[in-house]
Amino acid sequence: MSPKATPVWDLWPGDLAWQPMSPRLRTVWVLRSLVNVFLLAIVAAVGLVIWLGWDGLLWAFGGYVVLAGLRSWTVSRTVATWGYAEREEDLLVRHGLLTRRLSIVPYGRIQLIDLSAGPIERMFGLTTVQVRTAALGSTTEVPGLDPPVASALRDRLAVRAAEVREGL
Amino acid sequence: MSDEPAPPLAEAPLGPHAPSAPPEGARRQRLHPLTPLLESFRFLTAAVAAAGIQAFTSRNFLFAIYIALAAAVVGGIASLIALQYRGFVVWGRELHIYGGVFTRSHRTVPLDRLQSVDLARPIRARLFGLAQLNIEVAGGDGTDARLAYLKADRALALRSELLAIAGRPAAAQEAAAEAAASEEAAADRDAGLLVPQVTVKRLALASLLEALPVQITALLVFGTAFAVTGSIFGFSTVATTLWVGFFAPALLGYLQSTVAAVNRFLRNGRFRIARDGGNLLVQRGLTDTSHETVPVDRVTGVAFDEPVMWRSRRWRRVEVWTAAVAQQSATAVKSTTALPVGDPDQVAVVAAAAVPDLPSVFDVERPPARVRWRMPLRWKRTGAALTERAFVVRHGVWVNTHVAVPYARIQSVRVTQGRVQRMQGVATVRAMTAGGLGHDAVAAHRDAAEAVAMAAELRDRADAAAARERPRLS
Repeated sequence: MSPKATPVWDLWPGDLAWQPMSPRLRTVWVLRSLVNVFLLAIVAAVGLVIWLGWDGLLWAFGGYVVLAGLRSWTVSRTVATWGYAEREEDLLVRHGLLTRRLSIVPYGRIQLIDLSAGPIERMFGLTTVQVRTAALGSTTEVPGLDPPVASALRDRLAVRAAEVREGL
Repeated sequence: MSDEPAPPLAEAPLGPHAPSAPPEGARRQRLHPLTPLLESFRFLTAAVAAAGIQAFTSRNFLFAIYIALAAAVVGGIASLIALQYRGFVVWGRELHIYGGVFTRSHRTVPLDRLQSVDLARPIRARLFGLAQLNIEVAGGDGTDARLAYLKADRALALRSELLAIAGRPAAAQEAAAEAAASEEAAADRDAGLLVPQVTVKRLALASLLEALPVQITALLVFGTAFAVTGSIFGFSTVATTLWVGFFAPALLGYLQSTVAAVNRFLRNGRFRIARDGGNLLVQRGLTDTSHETVPVDRVTGVAFDEPVMWRSRRWRRVEVWTAAVAQQSATAVKSTTALPVGDPDQVAVVAAAAVPDLPSVFDVERPPARVRWRMPLRWKRTGAALTERAFVVRHGVWVNTHVAVPYARIQSVRVTQGRVQRMQGVATVRAMTAGGLGHDAVAAHRDAAEAVAMAAELRDRADAAAARERPRLS
């Protein structure tokens, strides 16, 4: 691996114990992207059928297969980049394939902790933890956790947030 | 009717924690009778202008007079009715504000939560010796209650009364002192100022110099565009079609920038800043005067602006960012001008008053030279530094800004690396402060390893700084 391909979070001074997301997260996200591409394909199919007659359906299907394949490949690679680490005083979340993002949320600044689960996520028994601070637009997400892990994380965060309250 | 003395404070009838409402018979204090006229000032101006244009174009003066008469009569009756339903009552530890004819509104302001009471005097109110009170409360959305308009001396008295009820005697004394001072000679009032009042001459020059680059550029662009198109198509064609269709809107923008510059000059005229205990008191305005109070322990950042034409004079402007306690509201963050223009030593005094021990001159480190092609103009004037007290970043071409965020005010830290940045091995560090978007300290294009180390260091220093100032409320 060339030095430039090293993800930015691997340069962190000191050791971090990165926790991976649930392995089912990949399935969920691939499914979700398949559904999204399918909706797109339906819209495209209508246009293509009007333009090319019934051949258009074939084109739309072919396009769908190619796009869906590409999309699920990138999505499954993206899922692998997600991870979170709990340190003494803060929570680190990393993600992103093309644009790398590393968020650091101190426990003392946490204002709200949300748990949420969409329909596909619920089918696979996954939960998303969202952490908010007083800065607008600084919602940090930790998606794809097993419900017990998610509520345990939520409880740990809440306890730590109550212990070290640092205000604005 | 508006000058009747305020009724004596009643005890809260059902104990301190019971939901209290003033009894039906409680005497509402009215706003000044000229209020509706002043509030519909813009509308009136527009109506007069429309009538004038109508008269001018159709030469039908009688029609214009009818319109004006009808507007005056209808407006007058409506405003008289509306005034009957508007008023306020100070009841126990609450301020009740009533309003509305068709949709009645009744706002209860718990005075325990009072953040600040600002006195503002727009020019149209000053003409009649009136003022308005902006009452800010911690928490909730749209926390800005407004009492407009009151007679100026009554507004001052009410302000100190509200502050006294809110249990802020220091602030109340200050308000009372201010009221007393307004009658004394101006020379005596300069005693507590941090920096001498900004002179009109300097402020005018500064505003002009700040607006000049934009104006010159705009004029140059228009000029060259006009010359080029004119020499191709012939000036007469250009003048009629292109000019009207394309350049006129652009010229409007140019005019707007002029108006903005003049506005800024008027807003910051007679600028005075003083420090009182834990508050910065700002008083400013040539035509519309306003008093503002900035609690120093709510300052989340200090921005030092240096427009390009001020550089040779070493002038800078100081803006202070504060976060209201309201969290979900987009207007929670506001920046207050703490010094519209000042010498290096004046800037230093104001900076130290806003954040204890904050220096005003920073030595920032530029991003690596390999990103220079991405920001050819900005590169020299971009940078970041971890100073003793604050995280400092620098950015901007036309207006070069140093932003200093005290470590204790950093909420969360984010490192992002785009795809081009990845090829260059650089990353952007963003330190977020409480409040709105755009009020973050962003260190662009740092070397990737340095960026991550910087983020880690920021977190450590933030914890250390926060621990030092604990216990801390809010």
